[in-house]
Amino acid sequence: MASIFSIGISGLNTAQMGLQTTSNNISNVNTPGYNRELVVLVENESGGARVDQIQRQFNLFVADQLNNASSDLAGLRSNQLQVSQLDNIFADSDAGLAPLMQNFFGALQGLSSAPSDVAARQGVIGAADSLTSQFRALDNFLNNMQEGLNSQIQTEVSQINSFSTQIANLNREISVSQARNGEAPNALLNQRDRLVAELSQHLDIKLQIQDGTNYNITAGDGQTLVIGNRHSELVAIGSAADPTRLVVGFVDSAGNTQELAEDVFKAGSLGGLMSFRTETLDGVQNQVGHMAVTLAQAMNLQHQAGTDLNGNPGQDFFAIGAPRTIDHANNTGTAAVSATFTDIPGLVGAEYDLRVSDAATGEFTVVRRDNGQSFTANLDVNNELAFDGLLVNVDDPTLLADGDSYRLQPVRRAAAEIETLVRDTAEVAAAQAGGSGDNRNALAMLDLQNAKLLRGNTSLTQAYMTLISDVGNRAGILSVSLSAQESITLQLQQLQQSESGVNLDEEAVNLIRYQQFFQANARVIETGSTILDTILGL
Amino acid sequence: MRISTQAMFDQSIASLNQRQGDLIKTGNQIATGRRVVNPSDDPRAASQAVGLTQTRAALEQFSAARVSTRNSLSQEESILNSVSDGITRSRTLILQASSGSLSDPDRVSLASELRGIRETLIGQANATDGNGSYLFGGFQDGSPPFVKDASGAVVYVGDANIREQRIDASRLMPVTDHGQSIFQSVQTGAGYVAEANAANTGNLTFVGPKIIDTSDPDFGSLFTLDFTVTGADTSYSVNGGPAQPYVPGEPVTFGGLSLTLDGVPADGDSIQTGPGAQMNTDLFATLDKAIAALENPRIDDSDTAALQNTLSTVLRELDRSLDNVLTIRASVGARLNELDTVDIVSNNRVLSTEQTISELLDLDLVKAISDFTLRQVGLEAAQKTFTNITGLSLFELL
Repeated sequence: MASIFSIGISGLNTAQMGLQTTSNNISNVNTPGYNRELVVLVENESGGARVDQIQRQFNLFVADQLNNASSDLAGLRSNQLQVSQLDNIFADSDAGLAPLMQNFFGALQGLSSAPSDVAARQGVIGAADSLTSQFRALDNFLNNMQEGLNSQIQTEVSQINSFSTQIANLNREISVSQARNGEAPNALLNQRDRLVAELSQHLDIKLQIQDGTNYNITAGDGQTLVIGNRHSELVAIGSAADPTRLVVGFVDSAGNTQELAEDVFKAGSLGGLMSFRTETLDGVQNQVGHMAVTLAQAMNLQHQAGTDLNGNPGQDFFAIGAPRTIDHANNTGTAAVSATFTDIPGLVGAEYDLRVSDAATGEFTVVRRDNGQSFTANLDVNNELAFDGLLVNVDDPTLLADGDSYRLQPVRRAAAEIETLVRDTAEVAAAQAGGSGDNRNALAMLDLQNAKLLRGNTSLTQAYMTLISDVGNRAGILSVSLSAQESITLQLQQLQQSESGVNLDEEAVNLIRYQQFFQANARVIETGSTILDTILGL
Repeated sequence: MRISTQAMFDQSIASLNQRQGDLIKTGNQIATGRRVVNPSDDPRAASQAVGLTQTRAALEQFSAARVSTRNSLSQEESILNSVSDGITRSRTLILQASSGSLSDPDRVSLASELRGIRETLIGQANATDGNGSYLFGGFQDGSPPFVKDASGAVVYVGDANIREQRIDASRLMPVTDHGQSIFQSVQTGAGYVAEANAANTGNLTFVGPKIIDTSDPDFGSLFTLDFTVTGADTSYSVNGGPAQPYVPGEPVTFGGLSLTLDGVPADGDSIQTGPGAQMNTDLFATLDKAIAALENPRIDDSDTAALQNTLSTVLRELDRSLDNVLTIRASVGARLNELDTVDIVSNNRVLSTEQTISELLDLDLVKAISDFTLRQVGLEAAQKTFTNITGLSLFELL
C-alpha cells in the first residue's frame, strides 16, 4: 500500500494540473478558436489520483455544421456588401438617370416650342451632354465594380492558398507529434480547426478526416485543396472566354491549370463575389447598356429623319459603343467575328456564346447566357447570322474551326462610349422638311420618351423602373436571407460555445475547487508528517 | 444549457447591433423625411416612383408647352384685334369716299389715311414673338413673311404650315395661324363679290350681287358678263352664252344671282362676279385697289363709274376679310379657352401624381417618431441588460 505521502503528492500534482488547466481556460476566454479543456482524473491502482488526460472539448460534427453555416453567411455578406453599393447609387431619385432623361426630353419640348431659338437648341445639346455623361459615369462605376471584383478574387485566392498551406503544415506537425508523444498538443489541434473555420469563410469546402489525424479538404467541383501534408494552389486567371474577367483556376499535381466554372463557388466570400457578379452586376451592366443603345439608336434614327437649320438632313445625334465580340483563348480557327446592331426593338440586352458546331456548313450554336437557351443558326450568303436585333459577321468562314467559340456582348459596355455628336446648334434637326419654324421632328423626337422602344413593349422609363426594382429586390432578398442566416449561425455558435466555450463563473468555481483540493492534499501530507513525527517521537 | 462567457458577450453584441441598426434606420428615415431611402426598402414603391416622376415630368413638359402656346395665341389674338379694327376703319373710310359730294383732294386725303392703315397692317402681319421669330410666316419664321415686290404690292413669302405644340398627351395644338390664311384668305362660303373690269370704258355701274336662289345648278360658279354694243343695241352674255338685251336699271339674273346694272357700257366692257374665295382674297390688294381708285382723278363719267364700282367691290372684299379675321380670332379664343381647361385638368393630375409619389416614398412622421422612441427604449433596455448580466461575475464576489 502506497504511503500517505505518495497519495498526498499525487493529489497535489493533480490539483496543480487542475489549477493549470483552469487558469489556461481563464486566460483563453477570449481567444478565438480556443476549445475549453477539462482535466480527466483517474484513480491510481496503488492509491491516489492522477490526470488521465487534458480533454479538449471539441465536437467535430457541430464545428462542421457551424463552418458550413458561417460559409453561407460569409457568402451572403460579401454579396450583400456589393449589392448595397448598387442599392445606394440608385437610391437618390433626384440623381441617377431618370431625372436627366426627363431633362433631356424637357429640353426637346423647349425646342418644339421655339425651334429657331438658339438657346432652346443649346438646351437640347446641353441636356444631351449631361445625360450621356451620366450614362458614362454609371458605366464607369459598374466597370470599376467589375475590376474591383477581379482584385478581390485575387485576394481571396491568395488567402485561400495561404490557409491551405497552413493546414497542410499543421497536418504534418500533428502527425509528427502524435507519432512522438502518442497524442497531439491541444494547441495545434485548436489552431488547425480554427484555420478550417477561417477557410470556410472564404469558400465552401468539404472536410474529410483520414486515419483520425489528417484533415483532407476539397472545394469547388471536388478539387483537392489539402491532402495530408500536401496542398494544391488555386490561381486567379483571366477566363478563356473573356480574359478581362478573372476566374479561379485549379493547379493540379501535374502543374496543369484547370479553369473552374464560376457557379461551383456557392458560399464563402469568394462564392458571394461570384454570385454577385453573375447574378447581379452583369445583368445591371447589360440593362444600362441596353437603355443607352436604345436611346442612342432611336434618337439617331429620328434625328436623321429630320432637317437641320442649314437645310441638311439630320446626322447621328449620339455616338454609341458597338457590340463587342471576344475570341475564346482556345480557338484554333482564325476567323474574325464582329457584330452590329440592326433593329432596336429586337435587342434583348443579353450576352451570347457563339460556338461553331459545324465549320464546314457555317453552323453555329448560339447560347443566351442569361437564361441558357440555345439555338442553331447558319451563316447566310453574306457570311452573316441575324438574331435578336443583331447582325454577326464572319470575315472568312473557311477560317472557322469546329468547337471554336466567341463571346458576344452586344450592350455590356455600350454606355461607355455614348456621346453627343451634334455640337453646332444649327445641326439640331428640329424640322421635318425645313423652315426655321418647323418643329415636327422635335415633336417626333419628344414622342420617343414614352415610345415602347425596348423589345417593343417597354419605354426607357419603364426599363429604368425595372432596373431599380431588380436591384432593390435583390438587395431586399439578400438582406432577408442574411438575417435568417445570421440567426442560424448564431444558434450554431451558441451550440458550439456551450460545449467548447469557457465560462468564467464555472472557472471561478473550478479555481476554488482545485485550491481547496490542493489545500486538502497539503493537509494530508502535513497529517502524514505529523503522524510520522509522532511515531519518531515515541 | 451551458453558456460560455464569450457567447454571452457575442449575443449581447449581436442584439445591441441589431437594435442600434433599427434605431439608426428609423433615425435616417426621420432625417430624410422618406420611408423609402434605398430601392431595397421597398422595390415596388421605388420603381413606381420613378414611373410617376416621369409622368410628372411629362405633365410639366405639357404645361411648359401650354405657356408658350398661350403666349403665341395671346399675341395673335391682340394682333387680330387691331387688324379687325384696321379693316373696320378702312370700311368707314370707303363708305365716306362713296359719298358723291367729295372732291378729288378729299378722296386723296382719305387715300392717304388708307395708306397709313395698310402700312400698319403690314407691320402687324410681320409681327415677331419674344424670340424674334415671325408669328405669321408658317415654318419660315426667320424672315418677314410679307414683303413688297418691285411694284409695291405685298407678297406672302412664308409657307402654309402651322407649328403645333403638344399641350397634352393626346392633343397637338396649332400655336398660330399662317399669314396667308389671315391676310390673304376668306372663309369658304363667303358671299359673292362682283368686280368691274379695270379696262372698262363705259359708265356702267353695278349694285350687288344679291343671292336669290342657292339651289340653282350653276350657283357657286364664277360668272363673267361681257357687253357688246352694236349700233344702238347693247347686249350682254353670261360666260360666253347667248346674247341678251341690256336694259339699264333692270336686274339681270344668272346662276341664282341677281345683279342690278345701270349706266351705259362700252363695247367690250365686262363685269366678273364669283364667290368671295374665288375672287381677290388678298386684304392688301383690296386696300391697294381702293387707294389707287381714290387717288385717280375724276375726269369723266367713266371715271366716276369706275370709282363707284371699285369702292363697291372693295367694300364687299373688306367685309369678307373682316369675317375671315373674326373667324380666326374666334378659333384663337377657342384654343385659349381649351388651354385653360387643360390647365385645370393637368394641374389636378400633377397634384394627384405628387400625392401618390409622396404616399409611396414619404414617411408617416408620427408613426416614425413613435417607432423611434420605441426602438430607443429597446436599445436602452438591451444596454441595461448587458451591464447587469456582465456585472454578475463570480470573480466579483471572491
